[in-house]
Amino acid sequence: MTILEVAEALKAELLVKGEGSYKPIRHVVASDLMSDVLLVDEDDMILLTSLSSDQVLRTAQIVGAVGVIVVNGKPLPSSMVNVANDLRMTLATCKLSKYDACVAVYEALKLK
Amino acid sequence: MSDAPQKSAARAKGETEPTAEGEPLVLLELIQRLKVRDVMTSKLATVPRSATMREAQELMRQKKISGVPVEESGRFFGLVSIDDIIRALVASTIDEPCSRHMTTKLVVLEDDMPLSFALRYFDRYHYGRFPVLNRDQRLVGIICQRDINRALLVELTNELNRLETSSSQTLGIDGAYSVYVLREFPICKYDFENAGKAANQIKKVLQEKKFSPKVIRRIAVAAYELEINLCVHSDGGVLSWQVSNGRAEIIARDAGPGIEDVEWACRDGTSTANEWIRSLGFGAGMGLANVKRVSDEFEITSRKGSGTTVRSVINIGLPDVT
Repeated sequence: MTILEVAEALKAELLVKGEGSYKPIRHVVASDLMSDVLLVDEDDMILLTSLSSDQVLRTAQIVGAVGVIVVNGKPLPSSMVNVANDLRMTLATCKLSKYDACVAVYEALKLK
Repeated sequence: MSDAPQKSAARAKGETEPTAEGEPLVLLELIQRLKVRDVMTSKLATVPRSATMREAQELMRQKKISGVPVEESGRFFGLVSIDDIIRALVASTIDEPCSRHMTTKLVVLEDDMPLSFALRYFDRYHYGRFPVLNRDQRLVGIICQRDINRALLVELTNELNRLETSSSQTLGIDGAYSVYVLREFPICKYDFENAGKAANQIKKVLQEKKFSPKVIRRIAVAAYELEINLCVHSDGGVLSWQVSNGRAEIIARDAGPGIEDVEWACRDGTSTANEWIRSLGFGAGMGLANVKRVSDEFEITSRKGSGTTVRSVINIGLPDVT
């Protein structure tokens, strides 16, 4: 399953299509604590978070995440789209809560 | 009217550092790292309020200075400038006390401000000099543009010598003992707009050099955590890194405020971060512990009231150039 398919399952709005958008996803991390995200030692992951700041993308880039999906329908600062473009990282936003987004991803992965 | 000078606080609320676009990195780092106290003249010729304008003028002539602070036991009252002397001569008040004719509407700097603030204030106000006060509002020095030129020249010469020494170890990836990356990034306090950029750049360079993803991740995590720490907890500092002898070394150095209990600060979950920082997803108290986790060597030295230096070393082997 790719991040584009995950975004579709979450009915997310795709804002930036990054470099790894067609890569199969192997892990999904849901967190609002960036230090927790930095502890993750997995490849080809995506980050679900309710934080909407440039640092979310920079943190995701540090751990080699394919992209970030911001949950809770949070309005994103315009700088986030620029940073995602600079880092060539997929960025999407969805209206689901983090919990519901996790459930939806789990269900979508089960169907695959 | 009060005797105390009507000072305009130079550290106005909400002011940001000057933008650095196009400025050489070394110079930018210097003007952030150097404090006003490092550059100012602290041996001051001063006069008391009771001194006459003529006495002030005589002192200025003897010391070859263009302004003399009016001060008593460290308390700063005003400044007598050449303009004030000329006005006193014209008005025949040259034998009257300084307290009546000194300038009291003054812009002052604080001694722990970065030099970048002083440069901006010279640019904004077009004054020849600024009195410098410490946190207790005591007069501790005076700074003029000549002081800044001299200090920058000395520091740039030192920097050049340092760069020459390191570049003598050859640039390139010819062997395990080559230094091929050596960079420093100035990090400003609470500059969340740019926080993380240095670590992102470090990661990019390592990817271009084709090191293993595991090693790149460890170095990037250490650099990122240290960069965020500088931004969140220090008054600003420098993140430097280099790759040599099969090792990556990342050093975060700041000039304050220092850590009271280093052992406590390195434990998981301990943090002094405020709510605002936590709302940005940081300050969970994992930073230093995280750096330690990814490092092969980890070292931290700090003293409350002075600075902190954190050194992380990660063994990287040689890049995969096949």
